[in-house]
Amino acid sequence: MAAEKKVMALFENDTRAASAIEGLAGSPWKLEQVHSPIPSSKILSALKVKKSRVGYFTLAGGIIGFLSGISLAMYSGIQWNLVTSGKPVIAFIPFLIVGFEFTVLFAVFGNVLGFLLQTNLPEFRSLQVYDERCSGEHFGILATCPEGQENNLVAFFQEKGGEAKLI
Amino acid sequence: MPAMTYAQVEETVLKTLRPASLKYWAVVSLLFVGILIGAGCWAYQIAIGIGVGGHNIPVVWGTYLINFVFWVGIAHSGTLISAILYLFRAGWRNPIARAAETMTVFAVCIAGLFPFIHLGRVWMVYYMLPYPNERNLWPNFQSPLVFDVVAISTYLTVSSLFWYTGMLPDLATVRDRASGLRKKIYQIVSLGWTGRHEQWRHYTRAYLFFAALATPLVISVHSVVSWDFALGIIPGWHSTIFAPYFVAGAIHSGLAMVLTLMIPLRRIFRYEAIITEDILDNIAKTIIFTGLIVGYAYMVEYFLAWYSHNIVEQESFRWRAFGDYSLQFWIMVICNSVVPLLFFFRKVRRSIPWLFSISILINIGMWFERFVIIIGGAAHDFMPNAWGLYSPSLIEYAILLGSFSLFFFLFLLFVKHLPSISMTELKEGIHQGGGHGR
Amino acid sequence: MNRILPALVIIGLGAFLFQVSGQHPEKAWQAYLVNFILWSAVAQGGLLFSVVLHVTKARWGRPLQGLAESFAAFFPISFVLFLLLFLGRTFVFPWLGGDLHGKDAWLTIPFLFSRDTAGLLILYGLGFVYLYQGLKLKRSQNDKSESGQEALQSRMTVIGVLYIMAYALVLSLLAFDLVMSADPQWISTLFAPYAFVKAFYVGLGALIVVAAIVHLRHGEASSLNPSHFHDLGKLFFGFCMLWADFFYCQFIVIWYGNIPEETSYIIQRTMTLPWSRLAWAVFILSFVIPFIVLLNKQVKTKPRFMISLCSLVFVGIWLEHFLLLGPALSPGADSLPMGMTDVLITLGFLGLMAMAVRFALARFPELLPVQKQEVK
Repeated sequence: MAAEKKVMALFENDTRAASAIEGLAGSPWKLEQVHSPIPSSKILSALKVKKSRVGYFTLAGGIIGFLSGISLAMYSGIQWNLVTSGKPVIAFIPFLIVGFEFTVLFAVFGNVLGFLLQTNLPEFRSLQVYDERCSGEHFGILATCPEGQENNLVAFFQEKGGEAKLI
Repeated sequence: MPAMTYAQVEETVLKTLRPASLKYWAVVSLLFVGILIGAGCWAYQIAIGIGVGGHNIPVVWGTYLINFVFWVGIAHSGTLISAILYLFRAGWRNPIARAAETMTVFAVCIAGLFPFIHLGRVWMVYYMLPYPNERNLWPNFQSPLVFDVVAISTYLTVSSLFWYTGMLPDLATVRDRASGLRKKIYQIVSLGWTGRHEQWRHYTRAYLFFAALATPLVISVHSVVSWDFALGIIPGWHSTIFAPYFVAGAIHSGLAMVLTLMIPLRRIFRYEAIITEDILDNIAKTIIFTGLIVGYAYMVEYFLAWYSHNIVEQESFRWRAFGDYSLQFWIMVICNSVVPLLFFFRKVRRSIPWLFSISILINIGMWFERFVIIIGGAAHDFMPNAWGLYSPSLIEYAILLGSFSLFFFLFLLFVKHLPSISMTELKEGIHQGGGHGR
Repeated sequence: MNRILPALVIIGLGAFLFQVSGQHPEKAWQAYLVNFILWSAVAQGGLLFSVVLHVTKARWGRPLQGLAESFAAFFPISFVLFLLLFLGRTFVFPWLGGDLHGKDAWLTIPFLFSRDTAGLLILYGLGFVYLYQGLKLKRSQNDKSESGQEALQSRMTVIGVLYIMAYALVLSLLAFDLVMSADPQWISTLFAPYAFVKAFYVGLGALIVVAAIVHLRHGEASSLNPSHFHDLGKLFFGFCMLWADFFYCQFIVIWYGNIPEETSYIIQRTMTLPWSRLAWAVFILSFVIPFIVLLNKQVKTKPRFMISLCSLVFVGIWLEHFLLLGPALSPGADSLPMGMTDVLITLGFLGLMAMAVRFALARFPELLPVQKQEVK
């Protein structure tokens, strides 16, 4: 693979950034990533991203949690195996509360786990090809092009209204 | 929403993270002294025994439990603002969501201390956890006290994770404007967040699930706390309305605490353009609603105590209003259900001194509500020859002071080291007049 | 429609009279009471939707508010039906003539009817004032005159707040007097909030059904779009969970305390035949099915499906009212005292409600969320 050059372009608003993304789709250059200070629906729809799969982790966590909670309560009740305060040894009415709390707890664990796994956080290498203004006011697009074409890419971005620089 | 630019938002918030003045450190030190007093008294109690507290037969639950319920209650409105109002797409919550969620985390931490403080033999607290042991003894999962262990631990964990995950984009912003050691610290703490589109995609989804899970959790946690009392048969405690009544009361006191915190915060940090008077107005209106629910609960309990013609119930409620603790009762009724009615008047809602004073009164009233319920229930139940009174001891007052000091201490540390307003959500609000783009 | 609905009413009336003049008049009055409470709750809860949206200055449901307000047309009918309960008092109030150990101060026919009548007058009066102001506001918006609009809106907010307070107090009163008192020895402090959460739950369900019918009938011209149904569906889902939560709150406190004067009520209704089967049916229809189904996002935006789901929930809550009142009004029943007449009487009430709503929407077209034909 020929040496690649990276160009980072910064836009003041997301409409221009979205149109640049759409422009890049038809060009020979590759879009690496898009940075933004806020989640922008325009950019996300220009990128045609699929729905996040974090929800499956959450759901799995929730189901595991409910079953764990109920099982723990049932198991520990059976160990004592005596009627206390007139309540039966296995009583679903109070066990529902334990099950519910465990459901939420493990669903949240699943949520966080899914989020970290899907976003690959914590991860510090991409900080090197990052412009700090992207967490402030600017939307950044990082694209790569083969060696020699940097000026074309920079011109393309400038035409779309952004300021571009080589990295 | 004020028409600020992103840069203005950042500047206003990041300015607050600059090195603090001497006055700040003086206040923090003062609060630390308060914490030391409380901690010292707790250490004394551990050494000497639980008898240094004022509780005894028949009032076996005293200020430690009152404080426990009080602090869990405060925690609830933080989650209301950050999670429930998010689901309702109420944009006015954006400027206060971060501080409110922080209030929740700290309040739950403090609440979680009180079951420990309330135990005589703290070194045996691990008995409450379900771990395999050679005697095959397990917690009784049918007991509301064990529900509490599960619920409070869950609430603490979920709130902390919600708080931290929600802060990641802001921590990245702080990192990008910092230098040197601070930059390194924030780099680690922000987990290398770069605002990439994939990160945002998963973040917004995860945030939605956080909010959707935190909402039923909030309702269940304070319902569980209320069942510590309602599942017993004591008159004045055994009442089916306790769960929604406590949840509404919790939100009531929590919103008042939000006002108590936000009003000085916006003044000192010059957040007036962001935490506008409209937002304080909205909080005040919500307080009217929760105050009415609490007042309704008082009325229903009294009516049904009469209607039931159960002499024990009737005596319990008569004594609450006219007996040994009637002062606390009337403070409770007036501060919780009458005083918030003043918020019906626009002038009162828009006046900072009124807002602040009423918020303090509500918190006093809610503390006394827990006093009336807990002490009142235990002191005056079925058998007249078992009736007794209670007054807190100095140790208990000191620990109460310590808990308030700890709360404000943590909150002050927070506002100077972490962004106390969510810059990301504010920017989103400016961007599209709403919440996270879904 | 024009002939079906009055026909339903006449069939219902006929069934009622038939049952009342037969061997078991108490069954007729039982069905009457259950339906009276349920359909009044639909109207009271339905209007509450519009009031709450107005008071919280929410914008997402503007087109739906008019439909919600049309439920107020049932108020006069409900009021008359309440007064007619007097005729069935010996069947509807099991405590009549019994030894009430001191509760007689509260449970007497004159006192009960006067306070409940006064309460309904206040509640329905406030509802009508709110409706009137709302219509004035809509008409002034059509004339595009800004003056007085703000004053109207703040007046509506004041009336709205009063309606909300009256709703809580009057529905509590009705819950205590008509339902809880049927078992005079039993109390539950959550019973009243449970009743008015139930009312909002069925009110929302009815609103979804009416909105779906309007949307399907008017197609392109309706101002309702999928996001309205999505939001309404989410609110309905939330109240499904809230209803179940309130039910559980009562249940666990009574179950755990195990005090006989409280538990007999629950045991009779949920653990002994014949009522226990009904209890399971209520739980499944009103909670389990809507909860599982409404987890899915897409389903909320399909009007036809939501009509079926909401009708199912409605049947569940009808059965729940029947379950609460049945053991008290038909004590010692071996099998469920339900029959064809109950269905017919219910259809009669359905006819009355539908006629009221249709009347309101026809008489006040501003309430209908449909694009006007004429060009502005």
